[in-house]
Amino acid sequence: MVLKLVIAATALVMMLLAVTKVPLRYNARNVAVRWKTTAMTALAFTVVIGLLTVMLGFVNGMYQLTLHSGQPGNVIVLSDRATDEVVSNLLPTDVGDLERQPGILRDGDRPMASRETYFVVNQPLRNARAGRPGRRFVQVRGLDDPELSARVHGLEMLPGGQWFSSAGVREAADAGDPRQRELVEAVLGEGVAGELGRDRDPATAASWRRPDRLDVGDTFPLGGRTWVVAGVLNSGGSTFNSEVWAKRSLMGGMFGKDTYTSLVCRTADAESARKLKEFFTTQYRKSSVLAQVETDYYESLSNTNKQFLYAIAFVTAVMAIGGAFGVMNTMFAAISQRIRDIGVLRLLGYRRRQILVSFLLESLIIALVGGLAGCALGYLANGLSATSIVNAGPGGGKSVVLRLIIDARILGVGFLLAIAMGLLGGLIPSLSAMRLKPLESLR
Amino acid sequence: MKLGILIFRNLRRNLLRSILTSLGTVVLVFVVTLVWSILAFLQAATEEKTRNLKAIVTERWSIPSRLPFSYAATLAEGAARSPQDVRPLDSMNWQFYGGTVDPEKISRESLIYAIASDPRKIPTMLDGLESLPPDQEEQLRKDVEKLAATRQGVIVGRNHLTALNKRIGDRFKLFGISTYMGIDLEFEIVGAFPPGRYDGLAAFNSDYYLNELDAYARRNNGRKHPLAEHSLNLVWLKLADTDAFNRVAEQIESSPSFNSPAVKCETAASGIASFLDAFRDLIWGMRWLLAPACVATLSLIIANAISISIRERRLELAVLKVLGFRPWQILTLVLGESVLLGSLSGLASAVATYAAVNWWMQGLKFPIAFFDAFFIPSDAMVWGFCVGAAASLAGSFLPAWSACRVKVADVFSKVA
Repeated sequence: MVLKLVIAATALVMMLLAVTKVPLRYNARNVAVRWKTTAMTALAFTVVIGLLTVMLGFVNGMYQLTLHSGQPGNVIVLSDRATDEVVSNLLPTDVGDLERQPGILRDGDRPMASRETYFVVNQPLRNARAGRPGRRFVQVRGLDDPELSARVHGLEMLPGGQWFSSAGVREAADAGDPRQRELVEAVLGEGVAGELGRDRDPATAASWRRPDRLDVGDTFPLGGRTWVVAGVLNSGGSTFNSEVWAKRSLMGGMFGKDTYTSLVCRTADAESARKLKEFFTTQYRKSSVLAQVETDYYESLSNTNKQFLYAIAFVTAVMAIGGAFGVMNTMFAAISQRIRDIGVLRLLGYRRRQILVSFLLESLIIALVGGLAGCALGYLANGLSATSIVNAGPGGGKSVVLRLIIDARILGVGFLLAIAMGLLGGLIPSLSAMRLKPLESLR
Repeated sequence: MKLGILIFRNLRRNLLRSILTSLGTVVLVFVVTLVWSILAFLQAATEEKTRNLKAIVTERWSIPSRLPFSYAATLAEGAARSPQDVRPLDSMNWQFYGGTVDPEKISRESLIYAIASDPRKIPTMLDGLESLPPDQEEQLRKDVEKLAATRQGVIVGRNHLTALNKRIGDRFKLFGISTYMGIDLEFEIVGAFPPGRYDGLAAFNSDYYLNELDAYARRNNGRKHPLAEHSLNLVWLKLADTDAFNRVAEQIESSPSFNSPAVKCETAASGIASFLDAFRDLIWGMRWLLAPACVATLSLIIANAISISIRERRLELAVLKVLGFRPWQILTLVLGESVLLGSLSGLASAVATYAAVNWWMQGLKFPIAFFDAFFIPSDAMVWGFCVGAAASLAGSFLPAWSACRVKVADVFSKVA
């Protein structure tokens, strides 16, 4: 869609070039002569377009995150009428029966189904930076079998890590305090490893394995216990990037939840997943559940994205109007300085529409120069990480660490907005130039 | 005085340019006003108070917080164990309940999240309701009285009235969702919250909710609802000052009554700041990218307009010099034109934004954490004026400097 619009906009510019008989050099020279005014107008374009691309890159990052978190062959089962994982409640007996249903792939005698309990846990920050709150929310996913869960979710461990043990704890080699001797084993997403790593005491920097994030063997406090990193997930680009995985049976006791929140079932393909979802929705009667294809579930989490997108569209539209007023000023001034030129051009035989196109092209040149610079400026933010929340509506949500993604589509939107601002700002002055009468212009 | 008249006349001379510059200022100050209003509200909500502050008691580790209702009475007393201990000035229990009017199709419109509490606490413990205009305060007092007298009564926010297409006096049924499954409640709307912050909230009698939790067990052969033992979500406490907060927090967190689950006591500002932390990059972007970009664009538009104006008026400026105008007077003249235009346009924009958002739109709908809508503070008039003035001053300084350095001989030699 964006590509088509970019092609259409380029075609429009080419068509204008073909229509005008006034040499483009004439406009280019005029732009160059008034270089300060032109530069200032173009700079306003640069700021607006640069800001737009960064803001859209943020929303795009959120969309990509929710898009890549689910597997098309997975079905996620929550309790009926649950608006989010955190408020879902599945009894162990129900989960046991659900995972035995036909359509779920098997790994030997085990169903390929991940039993999960999702927690949001308060973590007091001992080394909170100035201006930051004294605690943060950490998302913990309690799992029975982490290796199986990783396979169901299509995730892999980064080299050097291992899954947590069946007990979910290990003995600390050098703990003096008996209460801290038992360490809770955890597997971290890369994003949360970075977040947790950022709040380490700088005085201990010499002992850090990595400066940018926690790594295998590092410890961190949570829920009144000391946790040790058993492994780090290669989870970039998914919501699992912001999660801590640990032994479910241990988590239930620590955070007061003995039931499951979700069951994620792996099927053969997307079609099988749709069938299984339909089965759970319409035929399964043993318990009341809410089944969704995993990709649909994560798509529903993009509600926040839409909210941000609308806000960005509104702000950008308003700023674009402001920028267009700036172009109008420039173009009206250009026309008032060149009234005699216009008269001469008309006497030389140039038609009104050619005068119109000539001035319109001039405003488009400024818009394009500023717009392209804005796109280039905005592109510098590509890949930067940011935090946000994705949710499907009130009553839930997941904190996520995402990367700004400024792709060709977003640069295309920036290019289109620049063209639109140039047209909007240049049209009225160009129309006024077109309507000038030759003899009056020369008087 | 003469300079002032000259400034006005100059602005009127090229009316089109003045109008375009003014319109550019109006739209960009509009964005800045919206952004700063949101930031100012969040700043105020997360700013620690030293007197008359509120504390919030929740489960120590887990979100959402779920506490036994048996904690309520002791927490309302600040876990005071001896006469010397500090007691809160006031308190309010919150028990959340979520339901839908349409169990077949759960949507944003059909969902209602409500708090079950003691109705008499609503006017004194909900932020912002203690300082309402007299007519709204009187209406709220009547609604709260009705709620206290009506077991199945509910006070709802305006958004819910619109979404449900209901009026005060109507009845509706909510079917419990998520962890509230199995608890279906029938309500009679006895009043509406004043427009603004509580547009998305509903509040009803705690007694009704507790009775329905008990009734669930009776309907299910004695099997208790999963929330029966954990129906209390949080307790608000009103405290005189920071010292009282510190003592009450210590009393609560060291109390043996709250072991399973453990609780934490923090100031409301601290609690809100924690919830907003997930949005920190978004807020940073609004504060340090969006608002400055608007001001920068505005400065560029004004700089452009003034530069054009100076270039067109070089001859006139030279004549002024010949007539005895000093460079500082020319500088003042040009800066005055720009600042007058910018500040008045900024002020007009802020006034219009205030009226449009607060009166017409009933708040700026931009949900962040648990804040549904934002209002434009009256301070925005000052911001608008100052942003317009500052941006125009910054944008016009260089053109004005070049204007006051116009060399008379150069200008007239070119004319000749």
